Amino acid sequence: MKIKLTINGAAYEKDVAENSTLLRFLREDLGLTGTKEGCGAGECGACTVILDGRTVNACMVLAAEADGATVKTIEGEARNGKLSDIQEAFDRHHAVQCGFCSSGMVLSVRELIERNPRPSVGEIKEGLEGNFCRCTGYTQIIEAVLDVTGQIDRKGEMTHA
Amino acid sequence: MIYNFKYLAPGTRGELHAMLADRGPAAALLSGGTDLLVNIRNGVVRPECVINVKKVKGFEGITWSAEEGLIIRAGCTINDLLRDARVRADYPLLAACAHDLASYQIRNRATVVGNVANASPCSDMAAALLCLKARAVISSSRGEREVAFPAFFKGVKKTVILPDEILERIIVPASSAGAPGDYRKLKRISGHDLAIVGVALLKQDGEIRLGISSAAPTPVYVGGLKTSDPADLVVAAALEAVHPISDVRCTREYREHMIQVYVRRLLEEVQG
Repeated sequence: MKIKLTINGAAYEKDVAENSTLLRFLREDLGLTGTKEGCGAGECGACTVILDGRTVNACMVLAAEADGATVKTIEGEARNGKLSDIQEAFDRHHAVQCGFCSSGMVLSVRELIERNPRPSVGEIKEGLEGNFCRCTGYTQIIEAVLDVTGQIDRKGEMTHA
Repeated sequence: MIYNFKYLAPGTRGELHAMLADRGPAAALLSGGTDLLVNIRNGVVRPECVINVKKVKGFEGITWSAEEGLIIRAGCTINDLLRDARVRADYPLLAACAHDLASYQIRNRATVVGNVANASPCSDMAAALLCLKARAVISSSRGEREVAFPAFFKGVKKTVILPDEILERIIVPASSAGAPGDYRKLKRISGHDLAIVGVALLKQDGEIRLGISSAAPTPVYVGGLKTSDPADLVVAAALEAVHPISDVRCTREYREHMIQVYVRRLLEEVQG
């Protein structure tokens, strides 16, 4: 079937298999391989994308369901070769090790800070509960979110109690 | 996905009912998809066609009715419910169960109706809806019927819904608004797991009601208890009503023990 959607600001009109997931469509039909497949069952969050303003696991959405939708993937974060504010904060705080979870992690942070511009550590943990990092980088990831939301300085010192 | 199924996305209620009448036994209803698509991928189910209910006009979100109360429609996600300030204020137990369901991304997609219509023994939303005396409105091209929640569940993954029908909305009665209650869910992983056991407790009109998940083939309702009843009596009624098994997640004895612990803690919290 034919679907029309907007991905990272660009309009697409494509034929998709009715049984294809949004994840497979992004990776295999469009070559947007920044979105990763981890568990394929909604457990790990590696395939997190922003669908109509809300994070979803792309492995659990049919491509057909995204007909008419607006999608943001990790490829939409950096602009003109320049990393986004969240990506730079991840870089500064060494919040990336192997990088497999990072695409989903960054998009979950994006959606979190759009609805909550100054999340507490508890709110950050809750916002990222569906994104697994197996290199045990959670502390650095939380620091990166505190940094990008202006709650700690770049060395990791808290700027407020 | 492993095999080809037909994808249908009706835009109106009439189209949906016609599709169900035509293809019901071979169709699976797709709401949030957080269970269905995983089950298809794992080969647990193999429907010939998948009918997306989220594009049906009028199936979105919630509405409030002075006489009836809160109406939760088939397309209402768990986070749609949680984002509503009035839901959080008027139905704290419903919000507590919703908040404890899976991860943030899943709550963005999974629906209240789907969580209930799946009839998993570990449904978090069922625990709240049982306590709140909610009713299921089931529709088809033949009309509508209402079923109360204990009667809605028939067994593991089995409900009263017939192949040509859909659980179109859930009515949470206005009379339950403001009733204090809370949910305790035991999990292996905090924030992201199915319940080992879940206990919901609601206090309304001098009555204590319990909804217990993962402790029998269906979510369990325990009613008819009074706020003046001693904790031992409430615990005994809960243990009498459940039939837990030992499985991959824990033993029967541990489930029974934790039901007792949670009932006591919830009583202290809600009564105190």
